[in-house]
Amino acid sequence: MKNFSYVRATSVKDAVQKASGTTDALFIAGGTNLVDRMKVFLDQPSQLIDITRLELNRIEPVAGGLRIGALVSNTAVADHPIVRRDYPLLARAILLGASQQIRNVATAGGNLLQRTRCPYYYDTAFSCNKRQPGSGCAALTGINRMHALFGASDACVAVHPSDMCIPLAALGSVVEVEGPKGKRQIPFTEFHRLPGNTPERDSNLEPGELITAIVLPPVPFAKSGVYLKLRDRASYAFALISVAAAVDVSGGQIQQARLAMGGVAHKPWRLTEAEAFLQGKPATAETFQQAAEVALKGAKPLEYNGFKVDLAKRAIRRSLTIAAKGGGIA
Amino acid sequence: MSKMIGTAVSRKDGRAKVTGTATYSAEHIIPGLVHGYVITATVANGQIRAIDTREAERAPGVIAVFTHKNAPKMFMPSNDFQRSKIYEARLPLSDNKIHYAGQIIGLVVADTFERARYAAHLVKADYDTQTPVVEAKKASFKEAPPQMGEELKFEKGNLAAGMSGAASKIEATYTTSTELHAPMEPHAIVAHWQGGSLTVYEPSQWVMASQRTYGELFGIPSERVRIVTPYLGGAFGCKAFPWPHGILAAAAARQVKRPLKVVLSRRQMTANTGHRSETEQTVRLAATSDGVLTAIGHDVKSATSPVDVFAEPCTAITPVMYAAPNLQLKQELAVMNVGTPTFMRAPGENPGMWALESAMDELAWSLKIDPVELRLKNEAKQHQRKGLPFSAKHFAECLRTGAEQFGWKERPQQVRSLTRDGKLVGWGMAAATFPGYRGRASVKVRLLPDGTVHVLTAGNDMGTGAYTVVAITAADALGVPVEKVKVELGDSLLPDGGLAGGSQMTATLAPAIMTACQEILKSAKCTTAGEACTALQQSRRAAFEATASAAPGEETKKWAFQSWGAHFCEVTLDEEIGRLRVTRWLSVMDVGRVINTKAAASQVRGGVIMGIGQALMEECHFDPNSGYPVVYDLATYHFPAHADAPRIEVTFVGEPDRAFNPAGVRGVGEIGITGVSAAIANAVYHATGKRFRSLPLTPDKLISG
Repeated sequence: MKNFSYVRATSVKDAVQKASGTTDALFIAGGTNLVDRMKVFLDQPSQLIDITRLELNRIEPVAGGLRIGALVSNTAVADHPIVRRDYPLLARAILLGASQQIRNVATAGGNLLQRTRCPYYYDTAFSCNKRQPGSGCAALTGINRMHALFGASDACVAVHPSDMCIPLAALGSVVEVEGPKGKRQIPFTEFHRLPGNTPERDSNLEPGELITAIVLPPVPFAKSGVYLKLRDRASYAFALISVAAAVDVSGGQIQQARLAMGGVAHKPWRLTEAEAFLQGKPATAETFQQAAEVALKGAKPLEYNGFKVDLAKRAIRRSLTIAAKGGGIA
Repeated sequence: MSKMIGTAVSRKDGRAKVTGTATYSAEHIIPGLVHGYVITATVANGQIRAIDTREAERAPGVIAVFTHKNAPKMFMPSNDFQRSKIYEARLPLSDNKIHYAGQIIGLVVADTFERARYAAHLVKADYDTQTPVVEAKKASFKEAPPQMGEELKFEKGNLAAGMSGAASKIEATYTTSTELHAPMEPHAIVAHWQGGSLTVYEPSQWVMASQRTYGELFGIPSERVRIVTPYLGGAFGCKAFPWPHGILAAAAARQVKRPLKVVLSRRQMTANTGHRSETEQTVRLAATSDGVLTAIGHDVKSATSPVDVFAEPCTAITPVMYAAPNLQLKQELAVMNVGTPTFMRAPGENPGMWALESAMDELAWSLKIDPVELRLKNEAKQHQRKGLPFSAKHFAECLRTGAEQFGWKERPQQVRSLTRDGKLVGWGMAAATFPGYRGRASVKVRLLPDGTVHVLTAGNDMGTGAYTVVAITAADALGVPVEKVKVELGDSLLPDGGLAGGSQMTATLAPAIMTACQEILKSAKCTTAGEACTALQQSRRAAFEATASAAPGEETKKWAFQSWGAHFCEVTLDEEIGRLRVTRWLSVMDVGRVINTKAAASQVRGGVIMGIGQALMEECHFDPNSGYPVVYDLATYHFPAHADAPRIEVTFVGEPDRAFNPAGVRGVGEIGITGVSAAIANAVYHATGKRFRSLPLTPDKLISG
């Protein structure tokens, strides 16, 4: 059995330094996904670097927006009064994910780095390029009901599982990271990767880099934003389709829109073409239907997930309708 | 008398369970215990060409690695249900053949669980593989053999004649998906050999059969085997007999001469501890214009594994529910490369009622007759296969009471006529049924001078409430408070308590308890327990003790025993996004006399919730290429979360069935799930005007219908 060592980082610099010193060390915070993966040999780190004591657990207003420390629990983000008031779609997305117990422990930074729940990835009996590069993708010709419509490759058709990341992508957030080469900021939509030929890499984090915060920009019309999640049971299931939507409507005209989808790609799927289409259009059912068509243009369904194209259009239509009416529970 | 029976009593084992002192099988700690982890096949059809265990054997802490090349010694049991029974008629590791993905191909024994699991991961198997059959559409079906000694086919009258010329006809095909048991307590075993004797701590619904079976498996007298199962964390039919992992663990423990524990992972349990087969059922109904059935046809297909025969006996309910002069039942079975299916909460009755009760609803709409009325009009007065009248049948009362309590007459007779908050609303109903089974049992009762009563029997509490039912029955018979009754169950050292399965534990145990209690009063020459205690104190005797047995008798030749029920429900559907919710539920049950109204209602609720799972989400997919189940764990195999379960009202008719047994009880446990999925689909039809005939009703189907 492969033993691992456990060390506690005392500062961000210390954490980065410890991670840079070894090739297969992993940071651990909530561990709600990592520990599960370690139990089935998906991750076998030589060292776990505990970052839970770092001072990254504050939510603070910045330049009209909000900086969420990487170690703030999912529960604390969802419960924060500013999040609830200004970014209700983010609070809603978090509360529709996992369970209360998991959200209490899971962190904001960790949420970004959770890995796909593709069952072909989780079981070593199946071939999976994400788990073992070059071994093939069993999901491609398997039961791919939960899998990608966009941006997939022959190497991987898995989807990113996060709910929280969908409004973060829609809102144009920024991920702050710190690594051996110092600090940098990564626009949210550039943080995660499409699988291409390297599905083993989920994000553009460099070795040793640590997420320190997520910064939400000011988006005044996000106050009426919505998050809609469609799944196979009422609670505790990953999304078949989810939509984060916010629209700025004035005099019946859409000034701006923000739209992203979950459950459809290897990364949170920002719908920039649909956003551009919506700009300047009347806030009507017809417009929303057309926007849904634009959003799903280029979708490439697999054998078992064709229904998601129609379901996604319906979800977009519904989300935009509610957002345009001032928001609420979708 | 009868002051306790029929009241609501909280479960006696509740405190032990919520404080963690109830010891489940994997929690038995024995000095020197070592740990096993099973190795499973990654292909579904083939042969092991080579298996390399060298790396695993060298891994730290490893004590032994067993494969088909060095299988520990075991014997084939008689496997005839009377003397012994194993779930899978092939002994583990008997050869290099692979019949289904997830089949056990080895066992690693190590000093810790983690080391055993790690080493199991290091064993490398190479296979010669053949294309597996895991899809029913590619399987070949043949007539199913009798199940548990009962024919599945039946014919009376002439179906074609009954169908022709009928005013209204329904012919429709209904399907259900492969469903997994997923009990809260995983399968686990601790096997402990001392000299030539074996003690097994394993979740078992039938410790006495298990005792005989393990005896036969290892060539030792059953007296040298002890099965200990004080608590079960849910069984539903998948914990009645030894599975391959248990047999292998006990065999390996003997060889390594150490107490050995094997706990299966959720992943392993998806493949090799039983499931409910998918089914395809075609129902034909014909009726006169005023709704009198003239013909019923029921054709069923299900699948079994290559290593055992289990046909999901859906046709069992058809001759029971509705009378028709022309009746034809057919059942077919295919062999597929999947794990062995088995009994799962109302095996046969549950999927059978899905099809029949959906078809009855279709017929009611086509005749423009209220579905409650249609059922009242056609209820069978006798069991049409057995030719026996039903004893204490109150099905009509279930229907009438349910309709009244639910407000059924308010239901608009049009589809798509109810809406709320922008959603479609629908009301549906369906019948429920389950046979009244009863077995033989012996029970020992002891009365101590301080008024404490001990009741001892090897029968099991699966988590259903047997501890409490046994205590109430004894308290009632002796006139002592329930708190004074101490119950010991689930140990093969105790008197044979029969099988906890087929919802029969209460009907099996209660008559024996009552007789033993009467024996005590008789031997004490007293009329009350209080007098008997005084007599004990005066005589300085330790206790009055009596052992009594009870078993079914001649009544089974005169009557058919069956429980009945009716479900009424409301659903809402957000049609645009395919979001279906069950929002209201009422079940009215005729299960004979009810001993503990609280536990019995909980059993029905549990059945309804499990039925909601079947209706809305439960589905085990097999990978079309490898044949391996693609559901992975309790997160990927969906069953209802709290948010999926509405408030569920349960009402009992409560009339005793004295012809069945002196206690008048028929038991409750499985009946709750029967008819649930049909009631939901019938409500969806009322809401939408769309008939869904394929379970589960997931969003993809709901938006495409």
